[in-house]
Amino acid sequence: MSKLITSLLSIALVALVATSAASAQELPEYRPTKGVSGNIKSVGSDTMNNLMTLWAEGFQKFYPNVQVEIEGKGSSTAPPALIEGVSTFGPMSRMMKEKEIDAFEKKFGYKPTALSTSIDMLAVYVNKDNPIKGLTLAQVDAIFSKTRKLNHGEDVVSWGQLGLDGDWKSKPISLYGRNAASGTYGFFKDKALGKGDYKDSVKEQPGSSAVVQGVASERFGIGYSGIGYKTADVRAVPLAKKDGDDAVPAVAEHAYDGTYPLARPLLLYVNKQPNKDLDPLRREFLKYVFSRQGQEAVSKDGYFPINGAVAKKMLAACGLEN
Amino acid sequence: MSQPDVTNSPAPAGKTKARKRPRKVGVSLRARGEPMIWLTGGALVICIAMIAGLLGLVLYQGFATFWPGELLRYELRDGQVLMGELAREETHRPDESMLAGLAEDEQTVARDLLGKSEEGVLARRLVRTGNYDITRTHFHWVEDFQVARTEAPEWAAVVERMEWGRFYGWPIGFKTEGQMVTEDPAEVWSLYRENIDEVIARRAEITGLEKHEIGAINRRLEDMRLALRQVALDEGEDSAAWQAKKAEYDRLEVSSKEAFSRISVDVDALRQENARHVLVMKTVDGSEVDLHLADVVRAYLPNRMSTGDRIGVYLDRWWEFLADEPREANSEGGVFPAIFGTVSMTLIMCLIVAPFGVLAALYLREYAKKGPLVSAVRIAINNLAGVPSIVFGVFGLGFFCYIVGGSIDEVFFEAKLPSPTYGTGGILWASLTLALLTLPVVIVATEEALSAVPNSMREGSYACGASKWQTIRRIVLPRAMPGIMTGMILAMARGAGEVAPLMLVGAVKLAPELPIDSVAPFLHPERSFMHLGFHIYDLGFQSQNSEAAKPMVFTTTLLLITIIACLNIGAIFIRSRLRRKFNVSQF
Repeated sequence: MSKLITSLLSIALVALVATSAASAQELPEYRPTKGVSGNIKSVGSDTMNNLMTLWAEGFQKFYPNVQVEIEGKGSSTAPPALIEGVSTFGPMSRMMKEKEIDAFEKKFGYKPTALSTSIDMLAVYVNKDNPIKGLTLAQVDAIFSKTRKLNHGEDVVSWGQLGLDGDWKSKPISLYGRNAASGTYGFFKDKALGKGDYKDSVKEQPGSSAVVQGVASERFGIGYSGIGYKTADVRAVPLAKKDGDDAVPAVAEHAYDGTYPLARPLLLYVNKQPNKDLDPLRREFLKYVFSRQGQEAVSKDGYFPINGAVAKKMLAACGLEN
Repeated sequence: MSQPDVTNSPAPAGKTKARKRPRKVGVSLRARGEPMIWLTGGALVICIAMIAGLLGLVLYQGFATFWPGELLRYELRDGQVLMGELAREETHRPDESMLAGLAEDEQTVARDLLGKSEEGVLARRLVRTGNYDITRTHFHWVEDFQVARTEAPEWAAVVERMEWGRFYGWPIGFKTEGQMVTEDPAEVWSLYRENIDEVIARRAEITGLEKHEIGAINRRLEDMRLALRQVALDEGEDSAAWQAKKAEYDRLEVSSKEAFSRISVDVDALRQENARHVLVMKTVDGSEVDLHLADVVRAYLPNRMSTGDRIGVYLDRWWEFLADEPREANSEGGVFPAIFGTVSMTLIMCLIVAPFGVLAALYLREYAKKGPLVSAVRIAINNLAGVPSIVFGVFGLGFFCYIVGGSIDEVFFEAKLPSPTYGTGGILWASLTLALLTLPVVIVATEEALSAVPNSMREGSYACGASKWQTIRRIVLPRAMPGIMTGMILAMARGAGEVAPLMLVGAVKLAPELPIDSVAPFLHPERSFMHLGFHIYDLGFQSQNSEAAKPMVFTTTLLLITIIACLNIGAIFIRSRLRRKFNVSQF
């Protein structure tokens, strides 16, 4: 089951990346229409919290009396809210699990629609003073996981084991991570830990920004979080897929060429009946998200926008062709 | 002091020896209570020091946030040039490998500085360099040894923008309708100052038109759409009633289309007028940027300003913070919706909790017969005060939002489903949840106040022929009022500072629509709201630009403390008036 999800995820990402590279189609300009008002409520990912807020602000510039409410306590809160009907959109930083899709289907009789809105790179952050050059995924696994599914030879507990000298050699690694409701937690577990278990010593933080602040305040800390939350106090460590590969830094070009090992799409789930049009409010909001203005908000938040071709495909997926 | 008296007191000579021991005890430090004075006094001093320290930190950090600092330009030894405002400084202890990795000239300076420093540390500073749209970073760390030259350029300007955060650069031109008017910085600046007020006024006008006029049209249309849907639900689509309604809807759609385009013309005209002026700026790395005046919130030349000008900018920023709506995912702009949400939620909570709490306490104290049942109820109430607040939040979400709200939606707002109206968090449910949370405080305080009213007064009242309720209403309640107010003050202080349960029942990150506004029916108890406490959490732990958000955390905390203090002072004022009133009428 989880294999299916992983393959789905990689297909989504590859498709995203491939089309990004292949075509330079421009994103459409958003043009407002009339008669859009009502209440948008978004419940879901914390990684996408600010992104949703920026979209909401941009959308409200066109439709000042649309009410938008945003709650971001983790991707796992998105499916129940969509199923209960308390939210209009479910932003998630991971794919829905089979179980969540089943629960949705049981209630409505059809699957939820997943839309890739932008690309995030899950970065492994260290303190700005940390001299480490790069890490392999196996090393990351050995740092964060007690099961070491990626077969690193030894449990890594001190910076010396990662080749650091001097002051750093004997210092223990202090771990920061996200809480279990977060999609970042799930994605990192799947991709970087080979579905292994986290060490008990990982300090679970309630938000992405809290992880970054934890690492910023502790010289010997390490943590993972979305690239949008990077500050001057931390450094994103370049990552390599396998031993011997070059470590790839978390910068824009590697988000698109697919070489950064922890790139992922940021998704927006919608409850759309297959043979029925979306109501004007959701239709316009999605059009806005996949417009030039909406994707500008993506880069404003530190993530990487998708291109026109992908945007067109996503709009087609929810029945919005023009 | 009493020591000589004790020893010199005349006593029969024979008994002196026997009494010596107890006297010594009387003389000792412990018995005189000196250590206890120190202990109690010391505890008080520690309490005061902690409170003063906390307040001092919040006050200092909170008030410093908006002060416009100097804008400095740094030339680094590797040729890089940066310009920005100083955010903070720190020292650090470099290790050998880091020093060895530096370029030669930097290494020499670094070792030199390290030799001069007594603690063996190097200093560095965090510089807010802004221009996020160009550089993709907000802040830069600059090591002292990296800096070759520092200067404060006279014409360096800070521009706060509607989007993308702050901009730092030099004014090099002013364009009107695409034509360069001047390139002299002094003239550019005076042109900017001439035009900016008009531009801001027009921006406000656009917002007004969009929000009120277009908003009203959209609302009418939405109401009609819902009515149509309701008819479809009741009578079925294609029924006669539905056809009639549909025709009505189509008519409205046409007419609102006209109204919409009429207003759009006005808005476009204003926009065009605002787009005429462009400020041309040069960044520190030499690129030229056009800043439309329509996107500028505020701009100033920090290195040319007098202290008076600085105070002006400072106060202007405070005003923006208090009166405006948040922008850029809450990291900029103001917190007015959060202030409004916090105050209105607290007041609604008081309105709900006061009658319930007082009535319950009245029954317990005045009517109920003393017995095991009443004691059990009392214990239960006291225990309720100890239940963690998040439990109330979960209860509120399950009971109020899902069960009560869900049923209301099904009965009254069927047309709007599946989007919930009352079936989700809102200010009413939040107030109710907090009312439950603070209920024990009010009941306990009211009971105390009631029991403090002397029985003789009740008996006097009965003797005059008053009934039980008349006695309570005319004699007992007025005298207990100050005590009840004390309970309310405690409840308010607890309620206003509570955040955890609110996150479940209605406080959200962004909800610029206020729960009370000028649109009928004026009160919107179903709306989610922003809360200062939640805003603090959001800024501190969820903000994308966490470095810039940190000072705002302190400012917002300062504001929350001030608001709670104001609410409390208000209640204390009312209480003291009540007290005076009844003290006079006591005899």
